[in-house]
Amino acid sequence: MLWPLFRFLFHKVPRKPRIVEVSGTLQNDTVLTKQDFLIFKEHEQLWAVSRNCTHLGCRINYIEKENHLECPCHQSRFSIQGKVLRGPADKALPRYAVEPTESPSTYLVTIS
Amino acid sequence: MIADALGALKWGDWSLISLYISLISGIVVGIHYSPAEPFYSASALDILVPYGGFFRSLHFYSSQFFFLFGVAHYWAVFNKAQNITSRAYLYLILCFPCMLMLLFTGYVLRADATGYSAGMIAEHILEAVPLIGSGLNNTLFSISTHGMDRVYLHHVISFDLLFLFLAWDHLRRYRVFLTNHLLFISALLLFSLVVAAPMDPDQLGMLYITGPWFFLGLQELLRYISPFIAGILVPISLLVALIFLRKEQRYFRPLLVFICSWLALYLILTLLALTSHG
Ligand code: FES
Repeated sequence: MLWPLFRFLFHKVPRKPRIVEVSGTLQNDTVLTKQDFLIFKEHEQLWAVSRNCTHLGCRINYIEKENHLECPCHQSRFSIQGKVLRGPADKALPRYAVEPTESPSTYLVTIS
Repeated sequence: MIADALGALKWGDWSLISLYISLISGIVVGIHYSPAEPFYSASALDILVPYGGFFRSLHFYSSQFFFLFGVAHYWAVFNKAQNITSRAYLYLILCFPCMLMLLFTGYVLRADATGYSAGMIAEHILEAVPLIGSGLNNTLFSISTHGMDRVYLHHVISFDLLFLFLAWDHLRRYRVFLTNHLLFISALLLFSLVVAAPMDPDQLGMLYITGPWFFLGLQELLRYISPFIAGILVPISLLVALIFLRKEQRYFRPLLVFICSWLALYLILTLLALTSHG
């Protein structure tokens, strides 16, 4: 009885990769803030970084003045590419691919 | 003198009455709360539902008082509690972490900036437990995968049942009648009518979030040491010390010193969290 319960509780159903459609307008050097990620555009390049802090999971914010990301829980800092600039976090933020669609204000973000 | 006067107050009665009110108001707010839309439904209570803010406030503050008066009660009857058996004592001490989990899950369910962050932090602390971490998280929180489902389940059922189980024998013996405490009840109602329960909507560019008040010291500690030590071992050390804090114990004094230093340190960490990062 214990073993099945143990297996049951410890099983994690893997998450499927999600493709999220987001709308909003992005020009060069701008950012689009969504609940789980931020989309950046620089030199015609598009990318998204997760907003889940790699320290303990709080939702990080983009600080426009300094052009970096900061976590409100313990003030870890990240570059807009997701690299750690200041701890306690020590892992970079996951980056997701972003693709433009035919409509100019819609993008597809693949969350893996 | 002051200690005697404070000790004579009916902390236990007040704690229990607060629990009654918390349970009833919990059912009331639960009618409009939805774990699938946690933040929306919680803020709708404040903004849209007639008297929703009042009931949310009543639930919030009665729950806080339930815990605070419970602690005061423990302190006031500590000497008397020396006569009960070790097992009964253990059960009663375990009520405290159970109450804290009830308060904590309540904060998380609100799903505002504070609640969401506190939930995510708790999730990461559990994940950091060696071997059983992910199982624990999967059973207790798992907010990033299951939203508020687990937290809701434990807030409305599991921890309540656990508390009743732990406190049953104790509560069975001490009857409290609502009619003897009308003044206290009216004060609590009035308080909730005037003071709103906190709610911190997510704001862009928010730089500093302070968690639930009893969680602040822990949040500060997590800045410096690993989540497993700060989030699990440190709190458990206090719990174990409390469990063995009995006068006939050989280590009564050292344990008392340990507990007082722990609490003092926690207070300092809390003050640091409140003042040094804003
Ligand atoms: S959770 Fe982001 S810094 Fe701790």
